[in-house]
Amino acid sequence: MGEAHKSEYAIEMLHITKKFPGIIANDDITLQLRHGEIHALLGENGAGKSTLMSVLFGLYQAEEGTIKKDGVEVKINNPNDANALGIGMVHQHFKLVECFTVLDNIILGVEPVGAMGFMQKKEARKKVLALSEKYGLQVDPDAKIEDITVGMQQRTEILKMLYRDNEILIFDEPTAVLTPQEITELMQIMRNLAAEGKSILFISHKLAEIMAVADRCTVLRKGKYIGTVETKNTNMEELSAMMVGRNVNFHVEKQPMHPGEVLLDVQHLTVPSKVHNNNAVKDVSFQVRRGEIVCIAGIDGNGQSELVYGLTGLEPITHGRILMDGKDITKASIRKRSTSGMSHIPEDRHKHGLVLDYSLEYNMVLQTYFESRFTDKIGFLRRKNIRSYSDDLIQQYDVRSGQGSVTPARAMSGGNQQKAIIAREIDKQPEVLVAVQPTRGLDVGAIEFIHKQLVAQRDAGKAVLLISLELDEVMDVPDRILVMYEGEIVGELDPKKTTQEELGLYMAGAKRDEVKNG
Amino acid sequence: MKKLLKNEGVQAFVAAIFCILAGLLIGYIVLLFINPSGASESILNIIKNFFTWSRPASRIKQLGNTLAKSMPLILCSLSILFSYKVGLFNIGTAGQYVAGACASLYAALAWGWGWLPCMIFAMVAGALLGGITGLLKAYCNVNEVISGIMLNWIALYTANTLLTTVKETASPYTLYLDKVTPGALLPTLGMDKWFGNDKVTIAVPLTMIVAVIVWIILSKTRLGYELKATGNNRNAAKYAGMAQNRNIIMTLMISGALAGLGASLLYQTGYMRWECTQSSVPSMGFNGIAAAFLGGLHPIGAVFSSFFIQHITDGGQYVNTNFYSSQISDVISSVIIYLCGFVLFIKLTMKKIIAKSDEKKGAKQ
Amino acid sequence: MLLLIQYTLIFASVLMLVALGGCISEHSGIINLGLEGIMVVGALGGALVMSSLSTSSAIVIVLAAMIAAILAGMLYSCLLGVAAIHFKADQTLVGTAMNLLATAAATVLVKAMNTAMNPDNHSSEIEYVSARKMFIVNINGFEFNWFMLVAIIAVVAVYFILYKNRFGLRLMACGEHPQAADSVGISVRKMRWAGVLISGGLGGLGGLCYILAGVSIWKFENGVAGFGFLALAVMIFGQWKPTRIAVAALIFGLFRSLSNTYIGFDFLTRLNLPGNVYNMMPYIVCLIVLAFTSKASRAPKAEGIPYDKGSR
Repeated sequence: MGEAHKSEYAIEMLHITKKFPGIIANDDITLQLRHGEIHALLGENGAGKSTLMSVLFGLYQAEEGTIKKDGVEVKINNPNDANALGIGMVHQHFKLVECFTVLDNIILGVEPVGAMGFMQKKEARKKVLALSEKYGLQVDPDAKIEDITVGMQQRTEILKMLYRDNEILIFDEPTAVLTPQEITELMQIMRNLAAEGKSILFISHKLAEIMAVADRCTVLRKGKYIGTVETKNTNMEELSAMMVGRNVNFHVEKQPMHPGEVLLDVQHLTVPSKVHNNNAVKDVSFQVRRGEIVCIAGIDGNGQSELVYGLTGLEPITHGRILMDGKDITKASIRKRSTSGMSHIPEDRHKHGLVLDYSLEYNMVLQTYFESRFTDKIGFLRRKNIRSYSDDLIQQYDVRSGQGSVTPARAMSGGNQQKAIIAREIDKQPEVLVAVQPTRGLDVGAIEFIHKQLVAQRDAGKAVLLISLELDEVMDVPDRILVMYEGEIVGELDPKKTTQEELGLYMAGAKRDEVKNG
Repeated sequence: MKKLLKNEGVQAFVAAIFCILAGLLIGYIVLLFINPSGASESILNIIKNFFTWSRPASRIKQLGNTLAKSMPLILCSLSILFSYKVGLFNIGTAGQYVAGACASLYAALAWGWGWLPCMIFAMVAGALLGGITGLLKAYCNVNEVISGIMLNWIALYTANTLLTTVKETASPYTLYLDKVTPGALLPTLGMDKWFGNDKVTIAVPLTMIVAVIVWIILSKTRLGYELKATGNNRNAAKYAGMAQNRNIIMTLMISGALAGLGASLLYQTGYMRWECTQSSVPSMGFNGIAAAFLGGLHPIGAVFSSFFIQHITDGGQYVNTNFYSSQISDVISSVIIYLCGFVLFIKLTMKKIIAKSDEKKGAKQ
Repeated sequence: MLLLIQYTLIFASVLMLVALGGCISEHSGIINLGLEGIMVVGALGGALVMSSLSTSSAIVIVLAAMIAAILAGMLYSCLLGVAAIHFKADQTLVGTAMNLLATAAATVLVKAMNTAMNPDNHSSEIEYVSARKMFIVNINGFEFNWFMLVAIIAVVAVYFILYKNRFGLRLMACGEHPQAADSVGISVRKMRWAGVLISGGLGGLGGLCYILAGVSIWKFENGVAGFGFLALAVMIFGQWKPTRIAVAALIFGLFRSLSNTYIGFDFLTRLNLPGNVYNMMPYIVCLIVLAFTSKASRAPKAEGIPYDKGSR
């Protein structure tokens, strides 16, 4: 580093408290970032990490507490203030304008301009290219964001910070969307940046990554500050205990499987993409048998969503056949697929899974409201039956909500919303259960519950198709893993025999087998 | 009191009252601005409407007129709110109303049909026009507001062309219904005697029944469940296997039928004749928007709000026309629509205030 | 034929101005369905200035009327700005209310003024015979209207502002991804206000152009006959791009002008269609065009959605 700093710390957040209606997101939290260090911020979903960073970045204002830069107290009221103090952030959901070029995104807000605000992009391009070379951040400045890979989008975000000469760099869950190989690359980039004197805050809930790259680690739990430790003096078990407050059993208990006949048979499925002109799913074939859990693994955006859309009928397919329990359902409507035994736990519970303005009971019958037990012959709803059915499910699946059946779905927590969907889909007694990222954004307790339900379905002789992005889940829950890469199935793995590294190679497209009929 | 305010319906009512008062206040200010001396009297006359008459018999008769015109407005606002529940802003109600007027008048005057066939024909015409908007929305993703406006104009010019064949030679107006086809006039069920006004017809009870039916459909049936789910979350409705395109088209057809029925219930009273050279779409359909939102998007609310809006619109004719024009009522109702845009905000503010005072109470305990 | 070109150009100018207004507003993320009303108010502002200015200097009248129309349109668009940007109101509802209010208020106002001057005059008309002449240069029977030039300038200006200027880049960022704009310190509210106000100015100008297109007297009870919505259709057909909007406006302008000029064409009069068919023409064409272009529409992603700082 060589420079003399006035204070040991680049940034200090002291006793920060931030409240939202009904919840204290940050309760007296202190975080001190040294010059040139990589400092991890660890916590579960909902622990308050993102809120804390939003406070630092000026997106929210804290009710209590102070922020110091180089030992001097500062006020950060908006992202401009943060930027002026040299603080930059790579957000978990990239803040990139999709129809702009990489260069336009980088200069947005700090455009070099001549007379009358006309932009002069030449110098900007030079600076971007120089930075990209210096730190090994490969980008094409003239490509549009919607056309480039997630990895390049992330590099664009990093360049955005460097272009602004930021000294303090915040990475919010940067690895969630990357392949293991890209993660390794990113960590190298982070080390390079730290070596150049940048101070880095690395937000994550993945212990291995923190152990690999961070110098120190601050742990939050349920909005509270738990402690700060040097990573070389600790281990994963200790960090994990700090994060969840108890030792968690990461392993899913399950009996050996007894697969029966094929329940779901997908043949040469091809689904066009909505974003680009290519097919999102290309000639995919696989089978799921009675009594097994098959997991489709892969990096986000490799055609998994489209595969599910094609399978469940949400989007039309252009080629291929789908057989369920021997019956051809390729051309069947969504309703027909559902009534003939397919349940679908959707990827996005707010987009597809729930009508948020409906009460919980109305959401509980979203897939069955038309059945004669809920609608009479003339077309009136049997509201008493709906109520008692909903009350039953609530009890059975321990769905918690303020006013029981009449609670608006919007007023429920994410975990309980997901439980409600799972109750609904499982209680339909499906033959085939398609579960797409069923544990996304949930806390450990809810994850355990959901995994148990999936295994119970399998043990009851159902076919379960799990689509997951979480490596832990991919390794622990299923009986078979199919890896999807760029719309194709590139490998079939046995979770008991494979390693995360091997899985990673498949997910990154570095390795592929000819998979015949799954 | 506080418990009362927590009720959604009460909140909607309070918000509506706020919109009405603010709309009247702004109308008053405009009058003051134009000419201060007669403003107070004129705004009071707008509010009083038929009460400005001193003889009870005249009052009742004028009330009858307002009632007769309220019925189509109620149906137009039901048309608007029905499609709005499905997330569609059916500004084409105005054109569907025109289609209904054209169909019922043409069937009555050119073909000599009776009142019921004419009425049904008007509903079919409205439904067809609504169906076009629905088809365009469902299969071509055309914004229903823009296609609705375009169809409004197309309907207007079509009506002008068609009805020219059944108009008086000397004037731009269509022939008198009671002279050409008295059988097309709506039956009065004896109500004409109570009101001393033969414009009060079966339209009144019929409209009330339709409002109740719309309410029941929306709140108690499978169809209502599907439609509201589609309106609240289109993707979830699709996920649940509801037939979206069919629902969109059906909704707009029902919506159009309601508007068409509204037109037939006005023109078949003989209250008005169609002017074949008119160059703007009748405002009934647009006023329906005001009524629907003012009524808190509830079918029963729409009945009251529609009556109120028709009441002040009719009141507009009692302003002092030496200084003012009757369109001041249109100003007031459009201000009310504008303010309805803030209803969500008003409700949220009410909820916040209630929550805060609850919190304080909780803290004390 | 010359007449057809003349009318096509003048109606295309109206549509260009208003559609560009809509385009700017939507690029900032606000759907401006109130353009119809903004046109009425802009026309009113311009007409009042034209009828009250007694100078004979053409340039003063033309400029004053245009400025009045722009200011009136901007002022009126504030109704949308306040409701949509600060109170998260339903933009469709507010736009509709603005359209109704504009016609009603303009009628009330003009009638009141006419009555004040002459107690027997209850009409909602404003006359501007001499002023209209100032806008027009007669070139061998072709009436060139200064608005044609203004429209072309507007197209070029909007093109450069959107694609070459810092302001445009920021504006479009707010319409596509307001959270991204906010995170780099761009005030989404300010940009959206700018978008709404500019669209108000252009809409007002378009309104003035519309009432000057063919007549020297305007009855404000009639509004602007759905032209604000036609302009929105032009904008959609033009895929929110200034140059394509210009082309789309010319096509729509042609069909609109037919209703004024079809009598001059032998083959059209021989068809013996009722005049109403030509009146309907632009609306029918619009529907057909929309039916074919709406599916692949590339509307700004965040348009119509109130920006909430909290949501990420």
